[in-house]
Amino acid sequence: MTDSHLTRRTLLRYGAYGAGAAALAGTAASWDRLTGADIPGRDDDSLVVATLGPAYGPEAIRTLTDGFKQLHPDIKLRINAVQAVDWSDFFAKILTQIAAGTAPDLVYVATEGVQLFAQRLGVALDKWVKRDAAELREYFADVHPSLVESMMYEGSLYQLPVEFNAADMYLNHQVLQRAGASFPAPDWTRDDFTALLRDMKKSSGSQFTPYFWTNRLWGGVVPWLFANGTNLLAESKAPGGAWLWDGFYPAAERQGRGGGFRWTTPQATDARVEEAYDYLASLIQEDLCTRPEGGNGQNLVGVFSTGRVGVTPAGGFWAGGLNLAGMKATDYDVQYFPRWRTQRMQFGAAGYALLRTSKRQEEAWEFIKYAARKDTLDRLFVTNQTTPARRSMLTAARYRETGPNHWQVFYDTLDKFPDTGPIPAPPQVAEVEQVLLKHTGTALASRRSVGPALRRMQSDLEKAMERDV
Amino acid sequence: MTNTQIQAVRPQPAAPAPVAPKPSARDRGSRLLAALFLAPTIVGIVVFTVVPIAGSIVLSLFHWNVIDDPSFAGAANYREVFGDSTVLVSFRNTLVFMVFAVALQLLIALVLALAVNGRMPVWLRSVFRSAFFFPLVLSAASISVVMKYLFNQDFGVVNWLLGLVGIAPVPWLTSENGAMTAVVLVYVWQQFGFSFLLFVGGLNNIPKEIHEAASLDGATGLRKHLTVTLPLLSPTLLVASVVGIINALQVFEQPYVLTNGGPGDSTRTVVMVIYENAFEQLRFGEASAVGVLLFVLIMAVTALQFRLSRRFVHYQ
Repeated sequence: MTDSHLTRRTLLRYGAYGAGAAALAGTAASWDRLTGADIPGRDDDSLVVATLGPAYGPEAIRTLTDGFKQLHPDIKLRINAVQAVDWSDFFAKILTQIAAGTAPDLVYVATEGVQLFAQRLGVALDKWVKRDAAELREYFADVHPSLVESMMYEGSLYQLPVEFNAADMYLNHQVLQRAGASFPAPDWTRDDFTALLRDMKKSSGSQFTPYFWTNRLWGGVVPWLFANGTNLLAESKAPGGAWLWDGFYPAAERQGRGGGFRWTTPQATDARVEEAYDYLASLIQEDLCTRPEGGNGQNLVGVFSTGRVGVTPAGGFWAGGLNLAGMKATDYDVQYFPRWRTQRMQFGAAGYALLRTSKRQEEAWEFIKYAARKDTLDRLFVTNQTTPARRSMLTAARYRETGPNHWQVFYDTLDKFPDTGPIPAPPQVAEVEQVLLKHTGTALASRRSVGPALRRMQSDLEKAMERDV
Repeated sequence: MTNTQIQAVRPQPAAPAPVAPKPSARDRGSRLLAALFLAPTIVGIVVFTVVPIAGSIVLSLFHWNVIDDPSFAGAANYREVFGDSTVLVSFRNTLVFMVFAVALQLLIALVLALAVNGRMPVWLRSVFRSAFFFPLVLSAASISVVMKYLFNQDFGVVNWLLGLVGIAPVPWLTSENGAMTAVVLVYVWQQFGFSFLLFVGGLNNIPKEIHEAASLDGATGLRKHLTVTLPLLSPTLLVASVVGIINALQVFEQPYVLTNGGPGDSTRTVVMVIYENAFEQLRFGEASAVGVLLFVLIMAVTALQFRLSRRFVHYQ
């Protein structure tokens, strides 16, 4: 037994410490969890809309807020332009905001995140679309059903698309002239494309790359898979959606439409997938294109506008980018993606998704409608930084200054090839994309490495698709 | 056993413990003052280091995707991590990176510190010190963006320069060896300034008399460095290598921006895997499990360094 003679004073002191600690612990335990919303000024009862920052500069934000204020002076609006490198980075930041208790009411979501948000976070817009059908009839008449269908998940509509970009092929006139080649016909084939690259290579120096492509889900290997009549994940359509198609689209346009896309079963080892990879590997071996990792999008405008690249797949957004880089409307042009087994093309679209956590859902719906109005989009997309989802906005006047000459290609990609579809983006899209990027890099090291890399891709995709998000 | 021996092993009665003198009021005041000054740092360490580490350990036992409530997973996250080839490859890559990056960083820093410490005008020495330290104050992400352009196989300045001397374009960022080499080079270029400053400080602390004595004994330049400078610099070398290794094991920005972990997984590092699991795939439990493993690895490597340092580090 230890000798423990506590003096009365010591006992009182320790007692006081204990009581103080207990009081502090009790006070701490009784506090509500501190969240980002507790920061003064964070929650000012505004409708908060999160957009991808780099695409929405101060001018665009002012345009959106001023116009909305005029229509709805009673609704306070705050645009939160989240700075992010790409969609995956953007979604990560939105999820961090949600975890921090500062979830926005609306989030600008591209195809890459449509199903993830729909499945876990989004509110279906069906009831509002049905309620305001008369008001929306003009919108749907102006927007291609493929874009709308890409925003559906399991029979419900989650977003009204406001913009999209299909992977069309941009060609540099200066390089075409140097190669003595003429502008390709709309129905050009994969072999025509290869021959053109060879001509370009022959007529240019060693610091020239005929075809520049990037390693990502949109605009990378996927358009070649589409052109070869296949996909990374087997594609099917969910049932349902008749409420929308029957209500807004004529019979010819609603044929074959469903309740949104389903991408379920990985098929990386499909013979046509291997064939597409084999083709791209052969282009690399022949020095006709960059390796995918080398072809990052950041310096793409620079190398294309200076004539160091002849051809690259890009969307309507490039018209604005090339114009900013100093290219004139006559310096370049755009054509459909070349035909292989099919001439089906890929696109990605974007619109505003309403979050379940929003307490201002009616106001949010008003913003969604406002953001899809033609006058709003006219003001917002004045520099051709994207392809508007509304067909009526694609006019000669819009592209007179920026080009390209064949600007009709942008919307005709949907109108003339109605099977053109969205990139494969299931709820597990982040992992699917990472697996694609990783194994595409190794697959294209040589033609012999295509098969083994695709087998590993298949195995990783299967694991990814089994996981619940 | 003799009596004497018995007496020798018999426990002696314990001497009364020395009674510590009661601290004076002045001592108590000093201690209170010291505690007050230390408090912000201790609070900072607890809030920003101890609590997150504990949180990570707890979170590694749960499945959590931010959106839904966490659910207890036990050791499932660890089992998954050990069965995931990407995670294992990332640990291998990180260790390979660490070995090359730290060795190169220390070597370059030491050689340059010795050079700058030699006979050189003071103003020129200041210029070199500033120039070598400058990359360290820049953002690793922005540096990596610029380097990505420089190392581009088709349009980069590095290959253009190599082309001037007849060297064929190197696939810096698109081949497995090239990518790791580029990541190491960029990292070392940015980081060696820290070790360099430490070495300059360490070299200044070596008394000139010892070098003079070595000279009198006939030691020449290289021999003097090997037998005098390096042993006396060993405490600084230890600090530089410990900090260097801890930093290298946590490398993220350079491989993330330069290669995004590719081609394949060849430059994917442990912290990249943590980031991808947590913020791209919403698997915070698995990410925390990898984080805990990295923490254990860093602790083990650091402990090993200190253990080995007993043999190699000489304090004056």
